[in-house]
Amino acid sequence: MNVISCYKIVPDEQDIVVLQDRNLSLERAEWKIGQYDLNAVEVGMQIVEAVGGKVSALSVGDKQLENSKLKKGILSRGPEELFLVVDERLGNADAYLTAKALKAGIDKIGSFDLVLCGEGSGDLYSQQVGIQLGELLNVPTLNAVSKITPAGDKLVVERTLENEIEVLEVMLPAVISVTTDINQPRIPSMKNILAAGKKTVTQWGLSDLGTEGIQKPTEILSTLAPEQVDRKQIIFEGDSEEVVQKLFENIQKELL
Amino acid sequence: MSKIKKVWVIAEKESALAQLCAGGRQLGEEVAAVVLGTKEETGKAITMGADTVYWLGEFKPENRMEDYVKTVLELLKQERPDLLMVQPTKRGKLIAGRLAASMGTSVLVDAAKIKIDEKVQVTHLVYGGAAFRTEQSLTETTIVTVGAGVYTALPEDTSRQGNVISVDYLEPSNKVKLLEKKTKPSATVNLGAAKRVVGVGRGIANQEDIKIAEELAEQIGAEVGCSRPIAEGVNWLPTERYIGVSGAILKPEVYLAVGISGQVQHLVGVNQAKVIIAVNKDKAAPIFKHADYGIVGDLYKVLPLLIEKFKANK
Repeated sequence: MNVISCYKIVPDEQDIVVLQDRNLSLERAEWKIGQYDLNAVEVGMQIVEAVGGKVSALSVGDKQLENSKLKKGILSRGPEELFLVVDERLGNADAYLTAKALKAGIDKIGSFDLVLCGEGSGDLYSQQVGIQLGELLNVPTLNAVSKITPAGDKLVVERTLENEIEVLEVMLPAVISVTTDINQPRIPSMKNILAAGKKTVTQWGLSDLGTEGIQKPTEILSTLAPEQVDRKQIIFEGDSEEVVQKLFENIQKELL
Repeated sequence: MSKIKKVWVIAEKESALAQLCAGGRQLGEEVAAVVLGTKEETGKAITMGADTVYWLGEFKPENRMEDYVKTVLELLKQERPDLLMVQPTKRGKLIAGRLAASMGTSVLVDAAKIKIDEKVQVTHLVYGGAAFRTEQSLTETTIVTVGAGVYTALPEDTSRQGNVISVDYLEPSNKVKLLEKKTKPSATVNLGAAKRVVGVGRGIANQEDIKIAEELAEQIGAEVGCSRPIAEGVNWLPTERYIGVSGAILKPEVYLAVGISGQVQHLVGVNQAKVIIAVNKDKAAPIFKHADYGIVGDLYKVLPLLIEKFKANK
């Protein structure tokens, strides 16, 4: 099976700084592979280990993507090859623009049986890109998939919804977004990391894909840290009966 | 606040449809509900605030709601509403996303606030809850998902009149075949609507100890929620119970955090609570900076004492 696993690189939340005016600064942020995307890579690896084939990784974004540690990071988890679409305009892309750029990359790669995405990106978590990509590629697309069993030119998948699990038969090619509990992504070994440096990386710009005209259909007006809510901050120390009694009285007061 | 003209709403559940209809009435001049269900349900949508119902027909068990995307898309292209609001269930997200892709836009997801200022401006959380982002769509139709609690349902008004328009079903081109439906052992819990919530975190050492928190919750008439690791790390509680940026967002009167350290991703789920109470043995836990009342102590000692006191007080 010819599998393409998509991923996004995101700023590490720990490094996001809230400025005086409540704006955010990502200047000092380390970039990392979105944690939920590792599940999509792992699913791809398990499928080709079971039925044969090849996993390629694909990402779109700005020049942060060119970071060699991140390229090695994704390839050390198993994919044979890496494709990148790099353009400044993709740095703050929304779901539609991201899906458009991924589609352009996939069209250039040529063919696929299965495209895998994670549950959502690690930074914006809109859970939309896989869905949009499937629709733009005009193939069946599903979210919330928690189990995949290849069955010839089809997949049998389980989709975990709020109150039920659907068992579905999906014709390939397809785009599937998987849940975080579908697997436990493997930890790359030293050997995997060394081997990753020797794998092929192909990088395109939007103009190489004939998509330099694509536009972002949404606009960001502001991104601000939430205003702090004033709290009473009455904190007691200790777990004796007397201390708990004080807390109890305060809770009682609030419950009335 | 100025108003837009046409607002459409799609929801899987009736309670969500009622909230979205109420939101639609605030934001727009006309509200249309897209309904897949019985004739009675179309009437219900009108009493809940819709002026028009686009009726997709009765639900057939061999079909899935997603099979109607093509039908709804054609209708959207024809009627061009200013705003489409969708309930963010897994199905709702899939439907909204597929519609948006075909309409050439992105879904503005999980709206915490919607404001009309010429365009539809949508505010939602990003970066794991570190910030609220406000965005607008540059296309004619804005598509948003709106979760529970953003709007309050209007009282049902049986005197309301509306149009029911039957819509012909269009066969989808990429249909997925439903083989089987399994029931999921899930607690039907609506944390978003709970007035009081007890949240448990990794300060709880064993799965069976969650019952201490449950007992306390019972004493004060609260629901039990949890931090992400409890639901998606050790799987001690179902994901429906997890609170935080990708889980439930609460607006209770009282939130009692037990053994929760208070990571930003969790705090965004609770910081709209009127009162926050924290029990944690780590004095440096960030939760204390966001608490009205707290105890720095062992929850295994504090909780049983609290339970005893509430029992004695009844």
